[in-house]
Amino acid sequence: MGQWAGYLQLILEGALVTIKLTLMGSVLALIMAFIAGLGRISRLRLVRALATAYIEFFRGTSIFVQLFWAYFVLPLLGFSLTPLQAGVLALGLNVGAYGAEVVRGAIKSIGKEQYEACIALNFNRWQSLRHIILPQAFVLMLPTFGNNAIELLKASAVVSLISLSDMTFQAQVVRAQTGSTLMPFLTILVLYFLMSSVISFSIRNLERYLTRGLDGVRS
Amino acid sequence: MPPIIEIDGISKSFGAFKVLDQLSFNVAPGEKLALIGPSGSGKTTILRILMTLEGIDSGDIRVAGEHLYQMKKNGGLQPADENHLHTMRAQIGMVFQLFNLFPHKCVLDNVTLAPMLTKNTPRKQAEEQAMQLLEMVGLVDKAKSMPSQLSGGQKQRVAIARALALQPKIMLFDEVTSALDPELVEEVLNVLWRLSEETDMTMLLVTHEMGFAHEFADRVLFFDRGKIVEDGKPDEIFRNPKQERTQAFLKKIIAAGHRV
Repeated sequence: MGQWAGYLQLILEGALVTIKLTLMGSVLALIMAFIAGLGRISRLRLVRALATAYIEFFRGTSIFVQLFWAYFVLPLLGFSLTPLQAGVLALGLNVGAYGAEVVRGAIKSIGKEQYEACIALNFNRWQSLRHIILPQAFVLMLPTFGNNAIELLKASAVVSLISLSDMTFQAQVVRAQTGSTLMPFLTILVLYFLMSSVISFSIRNLERYLTRGLDGVRS
Repeated sequence: MPPIIEIDGISKSFGAFKVLDQLSFNVAPGEKLALIGPSGSGKTTILRILMTLEGIDSGDIRVAGEHLYQMKKNGGLQPADENHLHTMRAQIGMVFQLFNLFPHKCVLDNVTLAPMLTKNTPRKQAEEQAMQLLEMVGLVDKAKSMPSQLSGGQKQRVAIARALALQPKIMLFDEVTSALDPELVEEVLNVLWRLSEETDMTMLLVTHEMGFAHEFADRVLFFDRGKIVEDGKPDEIFRNPKQERTQAFLKKIIAAGHRV
């Protein structure tokens, strides 16, 4: 039993890396989602084109390839990244591209009458967005953001391929050392599920908190 | 006194449909003008154009002597930019048929937001002013309620207070009672009465409440197919319409059971 405790310790260390990756990746993804999502509805054609290019590129290529570029090709161009930085960058940019479409869709779904009220009250474009449109749209984005965060959590396992010792990487180490597949992979199965449950739970609570007083307006 | 609104030969089409056809009229400062007519006649479009929610295809509009859709620059006139529209809009307030309140803000915040954002009014002052306006529309006790907790009539009264918070010279009311249950219409009309007694604001109302238009307005414009068919004192329009189309419209309205 004592030997399992040591191996469990290894897996938990990996879990910490996975949590770190997921949190930092999600923050980057959220930032990119807003930048690119707002870019997509910009009045400036160049900004729209850049946002579209980003979204299509990162949705259209595999996260595996993106990770290898971040870790192995960028150094050739003079940008050396640690495995953790490369992982956060690839995950954040990849999931951010999906998030950008969520941001755009939610903003577009706010009724025309809200925009007209903003014009009648003489808000400028930024004030309308900041105070009226985004707060309402954000609530609509939350459920899909939750999905994206869970996707990011699960996709984070690819970083084991650039030798970052995340939870999946550690499970493979334990498997190699003990010859047992069941114990390490049952452990990380449970841990991944727990982590994704925390994400779901937090998002649901945030949603409930943000929609208080809005009952009857939208579900 | 020079007119506060001068509308000079404006036309507007939506696709192949001509909503406004070479339309001209003036509004005097402090005048209460009712715009009536069948749906699709262009009366709501006039208000939307004045609020800059809709542009015009041709013609000219001046508000307080200034071109609405053009600005003076380098000795000539150029299409208005966002800054010019911002200055012009500050003089005009609008109340919508479906209220268009901000559902995520409480009643007080709905009213204070515009002065705080567009006039840099400090929060405390904006709130004091908002409470006075809520007092006027009889909703002081609802200041902390969310719009979803209000009845249609209450929502519309909040919307009126919200528009008044910017102290516009001109108020546009776009069928403000059309979406209300019949028993809630009066509380909103009472607010308009109170407004007309306590201020000398210029008011343009698009309405289907003919009885109200008759008593309330200084002048009535009857619209049909994008043109003004008849323009006169309420008594002339409602008691003695000269044009056949006005007569036919009023007949229909009376037949539908409305008081004129």
